[in-house]
Amino acid sequence: MTGEPGLEQRYRRVLCLLPGYYREQWEEDMVAAFLDSWLTGDPDTDERVLEFCKPGWQEVASVILLAGRLYLGGAGAPRRYFAWGQAVRYTVLALLMVHAVRGLDGLRLVFLARGLHPVGIVPAPPAAMAPVPGIAWPVGAWYLAGYAWIVVFAALVLGHYRAARGLAAMAAALDLAWLAQGQLTGALLSPYGSWAFWMLHDLVPVLAMAAFHRDAPPVARWPWLLALPATYLLVAVPELAATATGHQAWVPDLPGQSCILVAVLCVAHTPRALSGRAGTGVWSLTLVLLAAAAAAYRIASFGDYLQGHYLQDPHLINVGLAELLILVAAVALVAPSAARAQTAMPAAPLHPQPG
Amino acid sequence: MTGQAFFVLTALADGPRHGYAIVGDVAELSQGRVKLKIGSLYGVLGRLAGAGLIEPDREEAHDGRLRRYYRLTRDGRKALAEEAELRAATASVVRARLGRRGPQVAG
Repeated sequence: MTGEPGLEQRYRRVLCLLPGYYREQWEEDMVAAFLDSWLTGDPDTDERVLEFCKPGWQEVASVILLAGRLYLGGAGAPRRYFAWGQAVRYTVLALLMVHAVRGLDGLRLVFLARGLHPVGIVPAPPAAMAPVPGIAWPVGAWYLAGYAWIVVFAALVLGHYRAARGLAAMAAALDLAWLAQGQLTGALLSPYGSWAFWMLHDLVPVLAMAAFHRDAPPVARWPWLLALPATYLLVAVPELAATATGHQAWVPDLPGQSCILVAVLCVAHTPRALSGRAGTGVWSLTLVLLAAAAAAYRIASFGDYLQGHYLQDPHLINVGLAELLILVAAVALVAPSAARAQTAMPAAPLHPQPG
Repeated sequence: MTGQAFFVLTALADGPRHGYAIVGDVAELSQGRVKLKIGSLYGVLGRLAGAGLIEPDREEAHDGRLRRYYRLTRDGRKALAEEAELRAATASVVRARLGRRGPQVAG
């Protein structure tokens, strides 16, 4: 014996990834089945197998996937995991909606702009956005990705999870290509903010779409579908009004808009959160997750203010800090309700789909 | 019903089986196309048990460990029969259409 953990101990360590309630019910059975798949019946061989072998990566991956589905619970899951599952699903939808709003804005430009881009379905890029004169594809890719996110959002809301996942991965790759091209040519005006946006709004949602599994309850279609144009108007109308009246300098940048929008949603949700009504805790938890994403985006964007194009304007950092403070104060209003969501929610109805 | 769930239910159709026996049976039934890992198997078993289609049968000691056996419930047997009917009907449509045009290969 080497004193090293054996095969069984190694597998049990992997199983520690699973939630406690699940391990309590299934761990011994899983270990027995796992060891059965290794043991040969020959005492010498089995002794060596038990001492030296390790679970394969496919076994480990299958446990990780199972753990992900259990932590982001669906119908029938314990309250805490169902609350997390719902909050992550709502957060993914909200983050995708930001992309979809960008796509809608691209469509608006298509309809309003006099000259169309050679590609035909993307507007002529503003001069500041054309990274390299004569090379239009990165901007085209950016707009096309925006349109693709509208479809991703709609597909997810309508329950076409697999299609949404595939298309989201492609749209994220398009965004990544656009970013990488800007980075390599040095044309990216705000690299910290842009990369943070890609990670928080592309990579994270694509990974977190795992929460839309077979046990996940269907998305409330109409409220989410109507939320898209409503959010677009909420963001675009004040921006257009400020531009039209010559107050464009008052419009916050995208990280600032994210902070303020989430703060407004927190304040609007506070009366319901304080009422303690069933189901409000999940929305509080969703707002806390969105606030974390907005704050991370805001903080990352400070990197851009400390260098390059924005170096001459330290005022931007003060504004950014003020936006962060507003966000933190607003999120503090719903945080207690979010904490309670994990214990005080009514049990999810048990309607699991076989398999 | 997913392919994995269908094969797991089929593996239990002629009697209770423990976890690893189900893995072996599914591989055999699917002619090696479906190779369940233990995490995937228990994901499917958990869903099927949650839906009331299977239930624990008994536990038996084997090499110092307990093997839990699972069996189909009445609902599970009914669901499997319906799924088999559906798949058989689909297969006959496919065969009929292929029969009309022949198994042509593109190119």
